[in-house]
Amino acid sequence: MVAVRFAGNKVMLLKRVIAVAGERVEFRNGKLFVDGKEMNEPYVHYPCNWNLPPRQVEKGCIYVVGDNRNMPIENHHFGQAPMKRIIGGPLW
Amino acid sequence: MVRIKHIIIAVLVVIFGIWGIWAAVHFFQSEEKKVKKQFHLLSKWTSKETGENTFAMAQKVKNIGKLFAEHCELKANVISFTGRYTTEEISSYAARARFPFSNLSLRFYDFNVAFPEEGSAKVTLTAKLTGRTATGEDVDETHELECALKKIENKWLFSYLEVVEVLKK
Repeated sequence: MVAVRFAGNKVMLLKRVIAVAGERVEFRNGKLFVDGKEMNEPYVHYPCNWNLPPRQVEKGCIYVVGDNRNMPIENHHFGQAPMKRIIGGPLW
Repeated sequence: MVRIKHIIIAVLVVIFGIWGIWAAVHFFQSEEKKVKKQFHLLSKWTSKETGENTFAMAQKVKNIGKLFAEHCELKANVISFTGRYTTEEISSYAARARFPFSNLSLRFYDFNVAFPEEGSAKVTLTAKLTGRTATGEDVDETHELECALKKIENKWLFSYLEVVEVLKK
């Protein structure tokens, strides 16, 4: 998990890193695929039906998604974030 | 006598030095205040209270247009809204954007103002938009903005406004 600086110095998002630069990310019926391989995600507790065509993570970026995915894909803050926006992670 | 003359000159140099520093600081502070005032006005005229009448609405959207330079570049990839717009187009867009809301509030925080050259200001800040549509849907959006303003005829006008896309799907 990482904290992404979303706006100014106060608005942060806590997200899970699912892919790094060069990897391809895709969602099929709520299942996450990285480089074509289905990922085991035991931390996703709610049903998810997202579909997202494959896309490659750009250099200097990481791909982050939240664990709570029981909302329409367009309402969820997720995606590729520049590394300079990552300011830390949880302590425990 | 010569010593007193030197002391007087030294005192005058110190006084003018302090005055110069104060004037420079005061000048830049007042310019920063003027720039921030434009954001305050943008917030005031974008915001909407329940029951706003047509006259107030027309006045506000007209005033919003006056805050922008004649050709302002707007970039908001998050809502696929990008291009160069005239003040009339901005007023018209503001009217359409405000219309579905029964109440609307736009607030700005975390100002970071820089003056890269004379007559030009760059501002990074956080914008928070909250409101309720006429159909009862709540809206609560927070974004980072990058803006450029130009001083034209002694007024700071928005010439560039970008909604920073932190997470690119």
